[in-house]
Amino acid sequence: MVFNIKSINSELILLIIMGELNVAVIIKLEPDFSEGNVSYNPDGTLNRVETKNTLGPHSAIAAHAAFYAKVMYDAKVSIGTMGPPMADLALQQAQQISDAEELHLYSDRLFAGADTLGTAEVLKTGIEKMQGKMDIVFSGHRASDGETGQTGPQTGWKLGFTFLGNVISYNVDLKTRMIRAKRLISLQGVPDVIEEVEAPLPVFISIDPTYKSSFDTVSQRLSFQKYQKEATGRAENYKEYFKVFDAQQLGVDKTLVGLPGSPTIVYKVEKVPKSTATRQAEIVDGSNHEQIKKVVARMKEALSAMVIK
Amino acid sequence: MAENYRHLYVVIEHIDGEFLQVSLEMIGEARRLLDDFNSKYSSNEKVVAVILGYNIKDMSKQLIEYGADVVIYSDHPELKDIRNTIYTKVISQIAQDKKTLDEIEPLYAGEIKRPRYMFFAADSIGRHLSSTVLTELESGLASDINQLVIEDIEMSHQQKTGGSKEIYAKTLEMYRPDFSGFLWTTILCLDNRNPAFKRDYHPQACSIIPGVFEPLKQDPKREGKIIEFIPKIDERDLRVKILSRKVIQSEVDFETPRTIVSFGRGVKDEPEQNIKLLEQLAKELNAEIGITLPISKKPFLVSQALDLKYMIPDRVIGTSGHKTSAMLYIAAGVSGAMQHVWGMKDSGFVVAINPDENAPIKDECDIFIKGRMEDVIPMLIEEIRKQIHIIEA
Repeated sequence: MVFNIKSINSELILLIIMGELNVAVIIKLEPDFSEGNVSYNPDGTLNRVETKNTLGPHSAIAAHAAFYAKVMYDAKVSIGTMGPPMADLALQQAQQISDAEELHLYSDRLFAGADTLGTAEVLKTGIEKMQGKMDIVFSGHRASDGETGQTGPQTGWKLGFTFLGNVISYNVDLKTRMIRAKRLISLQGVPDVIEEVEAPLPVFISIDPTYKSSFDTVSQRLSFQKYQKEATGRAENYKEYFKVFDAQQLGVDKTLVGLPGSPTIVYKVEKVPKSTATRQAEIVDGSNHEQIKKVVARMKEALSAMVIK
Repeated sequence: MAENYRHLYVVIEHIDGEFLQVSLEMIGEARRLLDDFNSKYSSNEKVVAVILGYNIKDMSKQLIEYGADVVIYSDHPELKDIRNTIYTKVISQIAQDKKTLDEIEPLYAGEIKRPRYMFFAADSIGRHLSSTVLTELESGLASDINQLVIEDIEMSHQQKTGGSKEIYAKTLEMYRPDFSGFLWTTILCLDNRNPAFKRDYHPQACSIIPGVFEPLKQDPKREGKIIEFIPKIDERDLRVKILSRKVIQSEVDFETPRTIVSFGRGVKDEPEQNIKLLEQLAKELNAEIGITLPISKKPFLVSQALDLKYMIPDRVIGTSGHKTSAMLYIAAGVSGAMQHVWGMKDSGFVVAINPDENAPIKDECDIFIKGRMEDVIPMLIEEIRKQIHIIEA
């Protein structure tokens, strides 16, 4: 086929040559640990009944990373989550951040009680049901309540995508379909390292907590504003973009999800036993100036005694 | 009944020819667990260290000296840098390689399919590697473990056993502290014996928090078996290219200062004002400021300057962050969750400021100042100015 180049708008040509970018984010509804919303039991454990729920903070960062692709590459953003019906709140919050056009909730009693492997199976199946073939899938670093950080990489591996962890920034070359990303590697006992890697799409990215999008040019900032406004409009009418899938609609293998698909179980939960006191504390009345004076003298002694040694 | 799973595999991490400390700690713990296991079950299962890299053959012997019975190594230029995809593939190949399993214990040749247990480090490498390897092996994983016990467990479980009573012999109980630090959850990885969806879940795997377990002393007299595994490398698993690696210096320094002032959720009544007070206190003592893990999740609104400077993961003292052995450690409004205590317990002299006398930090300090930091810190600052700056000058 021969194109009459002059009759086609140049942006369109660019789009034909380079193709579009589809990105997805997997997110989680979590207890809201912010002051005023979180409630603790007298023994220091989380009071799950009183504590409100919200989009997890690491999920929010992943949504910001997806929005970066929207602003920079005009990407189409989809979001998926597994959870109870009320998790639509988290989808709406993530849409407000990322300007997503597609919101998926995977919700079924059969999914309940899943460990990370059983959860990853649901998320993988859901991502494959999203419109368009995904080029990048983002997840947060880890959930604030479960804190395993396993679900992201496990979903990525099930999808067969290249996994990039602890990503702090990235850029995509739409022409070559390659991604360049910086990763922060922290290991005990050695200095932190920033590693720059390159990989062909598709990739699965677990985003580092320190990730921050930066928009340097005027045109990027204008797109940023435009899409932010669009996101607000969409989030107000999030139900238009929202779809719920149960196990049957997803077409998952029922032995691979929920409890049957979970190798691990929580066997018991106990209070951490009080460690035998390692130090014998002297108790001092904090309102007594004379006593505070003595405390400082002891502090001074501690600092100087060790210097001599 | 023949058993299809034997041995404990430990995935070793190393950088520039040096083992990461956590690798030696894992071998130490593996050794202790299996010594007990072998005497309890009159068995002879092995601690197997798995090491990947390039020009690493000489490191294998050292792993034996640190307590491994067997070392399986893969030496290949493509394994020089740690890349998740190819590392996941090769470790999974090793875990399922019949020939290697036969070589470990010829007595059981042909019977063993996979390791019984598997350890990874809970760090930037091992966290992700354990997740992808266990997905490839389709088995269970528990993360951030700080205690391990092996026991026979009798249980009836609606899903796992279909409600009937079963004995799960030689089960690894994996203990992990939850995010609050006050609860300890035990995770088990169990085969599905329910006739409706029978499936084996082995190895039973976990990632282990660095710094928790003691390594063994290196003993040159210790002997063991070293086995080379030739990896099957598929071009498609080499798609990630590493372009550069840059070492970065953290702006937070917990090594040099003699004093660390840390704060926890106790700042909550007046977070902005309290953090500024702590800043002043730290300045008087020439101290670095540390935080507890919950603070890094930004539970309060404070000015952006304080937020960006202090409520960041880099300042966390505890299992998710740094460990300190400061001469003087002042914990203000810190309850004393076990993760935090792990990070500060090696300090010289510990002062806690807390209104609640029942807070666990009381058992971890030398002086417990009962009171609100709003009231106590100004007095401390006043006294420090009178007493301490003289020797600092």
